[in-house]
Amino acid sequence: MMRALGAVLVAFGGAWIGLRAAEELRRQERALEDMVSGLALLEQELELGGLALGPMFCTLSKQVSGPARDLFAACGRELSGTDRPAFPVIWSRLVQKLPGLNREARRTLSLLGETLGRCDGRSQQQAVAAIRKQLEELRRRAGEERRRQGRVYQILGLTGGAFLVIMLM
Amino acid sequence: MEEQDTIQKAISVLPPRLRRQIWGLSRPTLERMEEVRLHVGRPMSVLTDGTELELTGSPVTGMELEQLLELASGASLHTVLSQLRQGFITIEGGHRLGLCGRVVMRDGELINLRPLSSAALRIARQVRGAADPVIGPLCPDGVLVNTLILAPPGAGKTTLLRDLIRQVSDGRGCRPQRVALADERGEVAALWNGVPQLDVGRRTDVLEGCSKARGLMLLLRAMGPQVLAVDEITAREDVDAMLTAVGCGVTLLATAHGQDRGDLERRSLYRPLLEERIFRRLVYIEGGKTDRAYRVEVLE
Repeated sequence: MMRALGAVLVAFGGAWIGLRAAEELRRQERALEDMVSGLALLEQELELGGLALGPMFCTLSKQVSGPARDLFAACGRELSGTDRPAFPVIWSRLVQKLPGLNREARRTLSLLGETLGRCDGRSQQQAVAAIRKQLEELRRRAGEERRRQGRVYQILGLTGGAFLVIMLM
Repeated sequence: MEEQDTIQKAISVLPPRLRRQIWGLSRPTLERMEEVRLHVGRPMSVLTDGTELELTGSPVTGMELEQLLELASGASLHTVLSQLRQGFITIEGGHRLGLCGRVVMRDGELINLRPLSSAALRIARQVRGAADPVIGPLCPDGVLVNTLILAPPGAGKTTLLRDLIRQVSDGRGCRPQRVALADERGEVAALWNGVPQLDVGRRTDVLEGCSKARGLMLLLRAMGPQVLAVDEITAREDVDAMLTAVGCGVTLLATAHGQDRGDLERRSLYRPLLEERIFRRLVYIEGGKTDRAYRVEVLE
């Protein structure tokens, strides 16, 4: 009885590891999707051009989800003070802390800190559009990887668990 | 307390190190401080009573000027570009920040200033009561008549105009009237987030950032003013708009560059205003900052 229970636990453990790896790929894709949507909204707002970045980020943070919400809300908060570092420093620091994004996505997004709030509306809009396109490409690649690797991870987890059970029995 | 608040708002856009340096100045210096001047590679200096005093301390860096612009614009250059194109940014308290550096143009318009090389922060102080000596003669029956303030640049025309607007709007020394102010460069009321940073009275509507001629017509149609105020008549269109406004029964309150009435008669721009006998009072500003005096000429 104990043996059977142990075998089931090992099988589930293996499957869980595989599913987790597949889920991580899904999470990265979703985070990039959220970021792309957030940047699209930021681009629209810059086109209208009326708001300062602080209030703009606060407003947008209520319309987006995932890392875009975290990033915009934190930027809005930080920009309200006068005893703060320069905006590119704040942006870069916050981007590095964002969950769900890989190193390449973070590096791409960090570049935006040098342009946001420091140029005319059109230049900022163009910079946001360029970064959004790069993130879209990363999201497309993440989607492909998830489709290719996700199933492999799931199967590997399940078969690994089954293999372990056979070995232990 | 009010003085401290004025200084605090003015220097809130300075990077922390420079802010601390300003607070280290003596109280009399702070009270007389007219400008803070920053040049990359040189220590900060302050202007008091027209004399520039260079402070000790590390030279100002380019990064600090970047931070100054960031704080003044709320990290949003796009929201202050139209002001920057006029020459300065108005910050909370009505203080003005002028910037110099390499101009970046697109389609003939300034779109950026990078890198920055210098900045001048002008501290705005309202002189309440500046119009006390003239409000009586300008309101013969308790109501303001068409008035032109005439003085050379820097003599205090805008200060007098602002206080006249405030007194007429609040009904101090005369009957209160609805005043509409065409404040093209934001020098009179200094709007910040929609709130005049300098007191122009309770019944004053301010239109900022619009050319004077267009602004006067917009105000005339939109706000139904009893008095239309405008600083510095400089173009034919301004004069035409004023003539139209007078035709609608509105009282005019304006300023112009000039020494005396002869100056007005010589310049073709102002001649229509004199020929049409638009103004009933001319106010001359004489003397300097310490011995300023006003003279009112009655034109009937």
